[in-house]
Amino acid sequence: MTEAAACPAPAIALKSTEFRRGREEGWRELETLVERVRTRGIRSLSAEELQRLPSLYRAAISSLSVARSIALDRNLLLYLENLTLRAFLAVYGPRVAILRGTLDFFREGFPAAVRTVRWHFLIAFAAVLVGVLAGFWLTLSDEFWFTAMVPSGLADDRGPASTRESLLQEEIFAPWPGAARAFGTMASFLFSHNTVVGILVFSLGIAAGVPTLLLLVYQGVIYGAFIALHYNRGIAVDFLGWTAIHGVTEFAAIMLCGAAGLAIAEQALFPGRYGRMENVALGGRSAAQIAIGAMLLFFVAAVLEGGFRQLVASTEARFAIGAVTGVLWLLYFGRAGRESAA
Amino acid sequence: MTSALERVTELLEGRGRRRRELVSPEGVPLAVDVADLGERAIAFVIDALICVVGTAVLYLLLFFLPFGSGASAIVGRAIMLFLAFLVRNFYFLYFELTWQGATPGKRGVGLRVVDRRGGPLLPAAVIARNLTREIEAFIPLGLLLSLSAQSRSGWETVALAAWMLLFTALPLLNRDRLRAGDMIAGTMVIALPKRLLLADLVEAKADYVFTEKQLGLYGAYELQVLEELLRRPDPALLREVADKICRKIEWPATLSSSEIVPFLRAFYTAQRAQLERSQLFGKARADKFSRPGAAAR
Repeated sequence: MTEAAACPAPAIALKSTEFRRGREEGWRELETLVERVRTRGIRSLSAEELQRLPSLYRAAISSLSVARSIALDRNLLLYLENLTLRAFLAVYGPRVAILRGTLDFFREGFPAAVRTVRWHFLIAFAAVLVGVLAGFWLTLSDEFWFTAMVPSGLADDRGPASTRESLLQEEIFAPWPGAARAFGTMASFLFSHNTVVGILVFSLGIAAGVPTLLLLVYQGVIYGAFIALHYNRGIAVDFLGWTAIHGVTEFAAIMLCGAAGLAIAEQALFPGRYGRMENVALGGRSAAQIAIGAMLLFFVAAVLEGGFRQLVASTEARFAIGAVTGVLWLLYFGRAGRESAA
Repeated sequence: MTSALERVTELLEGRGRRRRELVSPEGVPLAVDVADLGERAIAFVIDALICVVGTAVLYLLLFFLPFGSGASAIVGRAIMLFLAFLVRNFYFLYFELTWQGATPGKRGVGLRVVDRRGGPLLPAAVIARNLTREIEAFIPLGLLLSLSAQSRSGWETVALAAWMLLFTALPLLNRDRLRAGDMIAGTMVIALPKRLLLADLVEAKADYVFTEKQLGLYGAYELQVLEELLRRPDPALLREVADKICRKIEWPATLSSSEIVPFLRAFYTAQRAQLERSQLFGKARADKFSRPGAAAR
């Protein structure tokens, strides 16, 4: 210590140490609050603590800004970064009561999201329609097309070999199989075929929408092939009634998924003022809402199919139910949640 | 300065985590660590196990009720699929919504789901990222399993496997380790272990006095390495470091082993005071190679 030079005066006062001394209490308090929110939820805070949380958070975030410009204490900087990030997640975390959120979603969010994709929905509708027509004409002239186009799991022994009587008795006017069986049919249908198709149609939208359109057309083709099979045996009207009871809802659900997928495709293809990824993210959320809502429609369709289809044994009544569901869905998507916006 | 933080982390832990900046709604950039794939895989395995057990328990409960007794195998399987679907979707949605973006598995590993643009995590985003998981993994998995029971053509298996492989590999192909669901929802998964605030290493009074010249040799990077070394003491290493510093600053005296820690702490204090002061005057110094007074970074 020979060089007792001028440099730092023996009484050391670092700006960063002073700074820390004045604010540390607030950080510690924020830390305990954040930890409580993380482990026991935001409800574990009292009203007073709930009020303190955002102001402590803002104090911490301004501490971080200051510390970054004046302090070189590595532990302090890392701690503040970590603390503000955790507080940020506590303050801006999702804030929903599950039940309330679900209700609001079906009352307003879902129909509103559907209204934003009405043009995409029309395109999806057109795709299905094209498929139905194609499937119908092809099968009408040559029933070999039916076996070629309809997967065996869906055909379920129906095909060119079916007779009018077997179709009427085993399919269209088959007796109701009882609650357990009906539930099984419902559940398996819900989670094997339709939902898979719906989710595929939705999420393949990210591949520029081409697979979405192809799948939609293919759904139409299958339906068209079935119609032609029954048309050739003179029972097309009965078949349409048999499918109308749940088909209106089911096709609506598939087309909604398709519309959502097409909306994502549009976001990915024409990013506009944002980056492509950012834009997909922006559109993806509302599209996912539609897809989730479509699950509800699939559910309703499965209930109608498993529960009511074989109980209602008259074609007229089936058409009536199908028409009523169609009108109800139109009203729901057209009107629900609008009043609150106006 | 952030770069000094990162360089020290890289030096000490061998590799830097992938870091990314979120800008909070207040306009302050927050550095976040992108979660490793390994961590996410562990979290997912934990969650998947819980879901499987939950489904199995529900299934057994259902079958001990008289309602299920008459059901055939086909119906049983349909119910099973139905339950599995409900359980896993409800599980992920419920926890990510109520636990601020963490499921039990993620909490165990210390991961969180956050909005990629720094906004609040919206319920719609949580729904979107979890619904997409269905097509990424569960549906092809279900198809593979159900197809294996029946006859299955080779290319179907290949196509399904390729599909799953593609989606599983997707996080490897982008910087933020996003899976398809994260892309659609605008979210990302970050690692957020808890850090503690340790005592300040600054000494209250100066036992050793250093000259301006002696303090003008090192920069923020070396200072923070020294800080880390003092926080996890290793006598041999500290001795080596002290010797190096003494040589560099031409310290006249030799240090006895009991003096090493007090000396290093005093040097740390003086060095930090000096560097912080010059940083305040706009002359931040990143490391020993940068010219004194040159801009940091």
